[in-house]
Amino acid sequence: MDFVPGGELSRRIREGDSSAEAELVRQFEPGLRVILRRRTGGDHGLLQDLVQETLLIVLQRLRSSTLEDPARLAAFAAQTARNLAIASLRKAERQRTDVDSEATERNADPDGGTDELAADHEAALAVRALLRELPHPRDRLMLKRFYLDDDDKELICQELGLTEAAFNQALSRARRRFRRILEERGFSRRELLSVL
Amino acid sequence: MNQEMIEQYVSGRLGRQEAEAFEAYCVAHPEFARQVEFEQRLRQGIREVARGSTEEFVRSNHPHRWRIALAASLVIAATVGFYAWTRGGTVRSQSTLAAVTAGTDRSGPVMRLAMVRGAESAPVLPDGTVRVEIVGLFDTGFHYTVSLDRLERGKDVENVATLYSQHPSSPISLEVEVDGDRLRAGTYSLRVRKQGSDEEPLDFGFLKP
Repeated sequence: MDFVPGGELSRRIREGDSSAEAELVRQFEPGLRVILRRRTGGDHGLLQDLVQETLLIVLQRLRSSTLEDPARLAAFAAQTARNLAIASLRKAERQRTDVDSEATERNADPDGGTDELAADHEAALAVRALLRELPHPRDRLMLKRFYLDDDDKELICQELGLTEAAFNQALSRARRRFRRILEERGFSRRELLSVL
Repeated sequence: MNQEMIEQYVSGRLGRQEAEAFEAYCVAHPEFARQVEFEQRLRQGIREVARGSTEEFVRSNHPHRWRIALAASLVIAATVGFYAWTRGGTVRSQSTLAAVTAGTDRSGPVMRLAMVRGAESAPVLPDGTVRVEIVGLFDTGFHYTVSLDRLERGKDVENVATLYSQHPSSPISLEVEVDGDRLRAGTYSLRVRKQGSDEEPLDFGFLKP
């Protein structure tokens, strides 16, 4: 069930109901991961930290009742995540000019985002299995053109002699198969998407 | 919101305002956000697989070729294994163009490629495996495709190798490894393209004597 911004949940959090806070975390976490995954360049430890930090800020604002418009809570959370990602990037840039990068690598937290890395590995294995199973070389080429070369759908259809409907159908088939392979490998969709 | 919007967002094709509205929608709708994350994972998985080579995407299903490829792989694996065993050391990657990873030997030769206004001569690639540092402005939130092309006057550009999903080592540099011993003498170009973007690619020329 989706969160209703500014609704009952916000009121309960303001009143100090900790179960409401847990509910908000469950509701907001997937969206925040989407935003931050895009901005952390594969750094899973950082992704994890920034999701937590964003949720903390949102909860503190709700607890202290300083959020001007609770109806815009989701937009506020999204903007907070973006700001934190930008601040983190700036901080990393400053550090790069001051610190020996190899020393930083040596001191990095070895456990940072281990589960996420495992999930990435699973995703890559599932893609390999998917590629082996696709019956037509054209389907593999289509995935390559769409996901790797970032070519326009229209151009791919034109060059591979596909209608847009056929393209969408083949893509949708590939996505479903990818999901099934992951599930067969013991990853439920929810598990795969919530390793944090 | 629909699959089309998800694809556009994940491939970086939405404008800034649209993307921000999309992200707020994701935060408010966790089930929808899971679909988006699924697409991000699929894309990442595909890029991960293609990091070293795109062979798996372009191979044919022809059964005989499959068997020949399998037999060839076994022969190569046995040869490489024997070589590693007899030399008692590690076996280096044999790619012409390879990603720089944490395990890359950083003590070898380095070539720096940068856009230098008014530069009269192209850099020269040393022999052996060379770490190439490409200097430019990179967006660390994106991945880049690096293509190595051979240029010859009066002929079409010949693509030697391509690496996908390369991540800049900093906002001003991206590193790759080029095996100079595997290149014929001539003029080459490294073309760096930001994935999921309409930005013009950056081209850096060099010579292989």
